[in-house]
Amino acid sequence: MEVYSPEGLRADGRRWNEVRNFKCHINTHQNSSDGSSYVEMGNTKVVCLVSGPMESPSSGRKPNSSSNLTVSISMPSFVSNSRKKFKKNDKRIQELCIFLVKTFEQIVIMKNYPRTIISISIVVLSQDGGLLPSCVNAITLALIDAGISMYDYVSSINVGLYDTTPLLDLNHLEENDLSFLTLGVVGKSEKISLLLLEDKLSLDNLEKLLAIGIVGCHRIRDIMDQEIRRHGNLRLSKITNK
Amino acid sequence: MILSPAERSYLYDSLSVQPPVRPDARSAHQFRPIEASCSFLPNSNGSSRVRLSDGGEAIVSVKTQVVLTKNESSLISIDVDINKERDDSNFIKNLISSLESILLKKFPIEKLKLTERYSFKVYIDCFILSHNSYPLGLLSLCIYLALKSTRLPLLTSTVNDREIEEQPTFNDDWEASKKLFEPSEHQDDPPLLFVVGIIGNNVFIDPSNEEEEVSENGLIVGFANGEIVPPVQSTNLSNRDSKGISPKHILKAYSMVRNCGKEVVKALNTVVSSDDDVFTSIY
Repeated sequence: MEVYSPEGLRADGRRWNEVRNFKCHINTHQNSSDGSSYVEMGNTKVVCLVSGPMESPSSGRKPNSSSNLTVSISMPSFVSNSRKKFKKNDKRIQELCIFLVKTFEQIVIMKNYPRTIISISIVVLSQDGGLLPSCVNAITLALIDAGISMYDYVSSINVGLYDTTPLLDLNHLEENDLSFLTLGVVGKSEKISLLLLEDKLSLDNLEKLLAIGIVGCHRIRDIMDQEIRRHGNLRLSKITNK
Repeated sequence: MILSPAERSYLYDSLSVQPPVRPDARSAHQFRPIEASCSFLPNSNGSSRVRLSDGGEAIVSVKTQVVLTKNESSLISIDVDINKERDDSNFIKNLISSLESILLKKFPIEKLKLTERYSFKVYIDCFILSHNSYPLGLLSLCIYLALKSTRLPLLTSTVNDREIEEQPTFNDDWEASKKLFEPSEHQDDPPLLFVVGIIGNNVFIDPSNEEEEVSENGLIVGFANGEIVPPVQSTNLSNRDSKGISPKHILKAYSMVRNCGKEVVKALNTVVSSDDDVFTSIY
């Protein structure tokens, strides 16, 4: 398979700096959670449910010892092309959860929520690359929906390197072939709150990847912001029409 | 859910009068409103999502694989997964066994046969995002929708491979794919399970969480192609001590399921026919 053609087109017909179709909704599960969101990045589809802030079951015993923010990821066996059963304590999933907790502990204003628990549960419906970015975006939206105070949005995307060309928002096939990094950016700034690089990458290419990644994250942030505002206006109009 | 003695007694009394007064003002044969969509998972042959008004929600995916018929003990495999619950809990095992007991018996297996040697094996994977009441009825509706929306690639090689051994080959064009259950032929629809609660002399379909708490017993009734089909099981919907069932209850439940079953099937079929695009967003 050709990852990137000489004409500058990728296997799915995108150019190097194009993201996949990004769709998001908030408040999708108003009856079963405090905050919820649904994010689609191409064929990767993720649902996020937030419950909290709520009283922690063991608040008497260990007030500050462990994190007040918990993340769990469920991967049903139908998420990928071939059926595969994921264990609840799969190492890869545990690792992703830790990245997400570390990122959002810095973004949520935790001093507003002492002795409470915010529990985030992610359900992956379909996996086609960019799992961590879609989880980050879904959590940001769901936390906003739950009304939890945050410093700013975190938006995330992955960037790969093909020869010397950076490719934005990789799908599963491209992720397998290229070395790539995942980054999360705070709001419209250039502050990077999450950076994950698991392959080898030459240092002189890094800046290029970060630059295009930050632009991609800003674009994602704008789409998410649009959805939040659309939903906010919808709610406002419901109140004023009463 | 914990009910106070006063709440419990009020609910019990209002549900045992004739006709029963249900807490959400439904009649005895009325379902809670559901929200359903199907064919949204790009990696699966069929998929569906059903959400109840109390927030209970299930997602079902149907995947298929070509297998040598003689190597497989069963051509249908069912798996249930509940968000944040252990895979090996008794609750999940019971759900799977109830679903298997009807699907393995009532599924039109001959539809899965490809050639003399090869068949499709169907994997039904259920995921329950959240549930408040007993999720069997919800799962059954969801499985029905997923199976009805399942598409299989069109076989292009010969059907008869008794003499010459040949691997089956398929048409690459997904537009040419065939539905596992064609909408035109209604005699072979997938089976459904209905949960019926029993209080006093009354039976009522699709009990909500509060109704389950006070119900004396529960029945699981199978329904396929307009008729009641086995298995019919009794089940404890609440943790309180239950009372026995009289034949009268079973007959009442039968006639209720027979009447609503047709309506439910009709409603679900409209969902299938209106939702047939993998690129639609599910929420």
